[in-house]
Amino acid sequence: MSARKFRPNETVDFVVVGSGAAGGVMARELSQAGFEVLVLEQGPRFTAADFRHDELDYWFNGALTNKLDTNPQTFRKTSAEKAERVTEFPAAWYAPNVGGSSVHFTANFWRFHEVDFDERSRLGAIPGTTFADWPITYDELEPYYTKVEWEVGVSGLAGASPFDPWRSKPYPMPPLPVKSSGVLLERGARKMGWHPYPAPMAIASVPYRDRAACAHCGFCIGFGCEMQAKSSTLYTMIPEAEATGRCEVRPLSYVSRIETNAAGRATGVAYFDKDKRERFQKARAVVVCANGAETARLLLMSANAQFPDGLANSSGYVGKNLMFNTYAQINALFEHELNEFKSAQVTRVVHDWYDSDPQRGFYGGGGIDSRIGPMPIAWSMFAPPPGRTWGAGFKSLLEALPRAMIVAGHGTSLPLATNRIDLDPELKDAWGLPALRMTYKDHPDDLAMARYLQDRGVESMQAAGALEVWKDPVAESTGGPHLLGTARMGNDPSTSVVDKHHRSHDIRNLFVCDGSSFVTSGRGQPTMTIQALAFRAGDHIARFAKRGEI
Amino acid sequence: MDSTGTSRRKFLQASGGSLGLAWLAAAWPQVVAAAEHAHAMAAADAADRSKFLLLTPAQARDVDAIASQIVPSGATPGAHEAGVVYFIDQVHAGLWKENGQDFVAGLTDFQAKCAKHHPGVAQFADLSFDDQTAYLKHIEHTPFFGGMRFLTVLGLLALPSYGGNAGKLGWKLVGFVDQHAWQPPFGHYDAEYAGFVPYAKAAEQQS
Repeated sequence: MSARKFRPNETVDFVVVGSGAAGGVMARELSQAGFEVLVLEQGPRFTAADFRHDELDYWFNGALTNKLDTNPQTFRKTSAEKAERVTEFPAAWYAPNVGGSSVHFTANFWRFHEVDFDERSRLGAIPGTTFADWPITYDELEPYYTKVEWEVGVSGLAGASPFDPWRSKPYPMPPLPVKSSGVLLERGARKMGWHPYPAPMAIASVPYRDRAACAHCGFCIGFGCEMQAKSSTLYTMIPEAEATGRCEVRPLSYVSRIETNAAGRATGVAYFDKDKRERFQKARAVVVCANGAETARLLLMSANAQFPDGLANSSGYVGKNLMFNTYAQINALFEHELNEFKSAQVTRVVHDWYDSDPQRGFYGGGGIDSRIGPMPIAWSMFAPPPGRTWGAGFKSLLEALPRAMIVAGHGTSLPLATNRIDLDPELKDAWGLPALRMTYKDHPDDLAMARYLQDRGVESMQAAGALEVWKDPVAESTGGPHLLGTARMGNDPSTSVVDKHHRSHDIRNLFVCDGSSFVTSGRGQPTMTIQALAFRAGDHIARFAKRGEI
Repeated sequence: MDSTGTSRRKFLQASGGSLGLAWLAAAWPQVVAAAEHAHAMAAADAADRSKFLLLTPAQARDVDAIASQIVPSGATPGAHEAGVVYFIDQVHAGLWKENGQDFVAGLTDFQAKCAKHHPGVAQFADLSFDDQTAYLKHIEHTPFFGGMRFLTVLGLLALPSYGGNAGKLGWKLVGFVDQHAWQPPFGHYDAEYAGFVPYAKAAEQQS
């Protein structure tokens, strides 16, 4: 069956906005359930043969990431400041193309734990934050985590981490071969009495469902995978959706607003086509999967007389509670060669600090993993400590790169109503739409957790016998690729945007599912959970549609 | 430098062990093509380093001198041997040409200030190596120097087709090898790794 092509005036069952980690899954689930689905993607569609090993273009020229000249963004720390136009890396950093950020992600794919979903009940309120329980439990999501592992394709070793949540099925593929960075982290962590385990990765370690196994070229983070071994929705969910004959993925289609009628129902979406002509697509229901920044922006841009504060925003929560996952990094040099430019980035993870511990004196949880950061240019730009950024000292560091690795700390970000995405009041994009404005200032506990994890990273490398170890400064966030929390799920319509099935509280046929649905941040690496949510939402939405409940 | 034939063989060696035969028969040509394409630009070094497109010879001398302070020559090649100045020239005449005039203005300003600081010396490149180092220490926190550092790293390590990384000298310096497939062991430590020991089993062994 070949991909469906809808006629211009046709009304589709579902229009899905965004074709990334969530949108790809949604398209597959709804089309396989028998519905006609049109996916609108703002960016182009690449094929495996388009991807190149060009670090300059991919990392420093935005080959795959959002373009700040046509899609500008502004940033400020607090609402007291005027947001300034972002000039280097985007504040909300993502890949606008078919497959979304699942094309260029690192592919770290561990599950959230039970505690991530009910931590507010376990720990109590945290003053000044919107810390809350999710409306679903780990047990409710577990079948969908398993579905991600098998349908999308995740490699890993079940039961390897003593801290892992329960699972109903093992991984479908063994873990990727360990790299020297993984061996050293494991060596150091075991000496410290911790429990390193093989990293779960959305990368095929063996041939899987007509996709090739990883050839260990090393160009994962920030790059597209020319082997099709990285389990991007571009290679997995999207072709399977199209194979139903009921799904069309329309690239270069930039959605500008969701329209509603007098009855308060969504009627479809307005979008700009590749020639910047405005089009309207009629749909029986709209599912927004545009990522944790653009989803909020679209809901806000869709404000009309009936919904003056934006769609699905009676709570005022659209765009609020933005979270990134706190992050810290340390660098280490060893005696012998690691050659970290080879193979997938991460092969060992330590989650001994996953749960928050009041004895630390602050809220937070997280882990550390072994990696390199990421390829030669970026490492040479960002890793050298002060005093070794140029000259003979710098050159000797460059020559040490084969012996270098990084330990990355990844952890919680608290939800704060003041951290948010909204519309810049002045700046417009190349289509005349309001630019995305981000306001973000880390909670002090998030920075404390980052430093705590960084210290554990130092200990692990010292225990592993590193010759040199140095910390990158833990700095306040100015944006990131993990875009979470801006249209949170919840049972109470006054403090959440969508219900536990991702249906907006305010508009019956408007659904939202992506990183924006998160209530808390987890401990990093959100895509696995984004996709589990999308499988679950797709399941429920299809059932509602079949019962005439949309 | 790999010929296509050699790299195809390496690719086979690297990935053959883990590929199913049926899949291999079906998808092999496309995958090899994609993987080789991903590296084709890396293998090709067609950059013209015989002339400057934007910089005057005097400007190029100073850019080369600054880059050679950031990554000096010595026992191993540095920015000069890797042709970083050609990258900086070509990127401002091509990929990032909208920044070209700003770059030249920054360089001109740098040269004027240097001349004021060292009266009687025609330009920065004419200073002794140590005097160059001392002058750059004095301005190392300026945006111009930060930009020069960034451009030098790019010129050293970006694909040779951008004009720098001549003879892949930058990659050789950092130990990067442009091969499109690898197989384990990747380094010293994973070569000697005995395998993941599950925690329950580890506890049994200890008891």
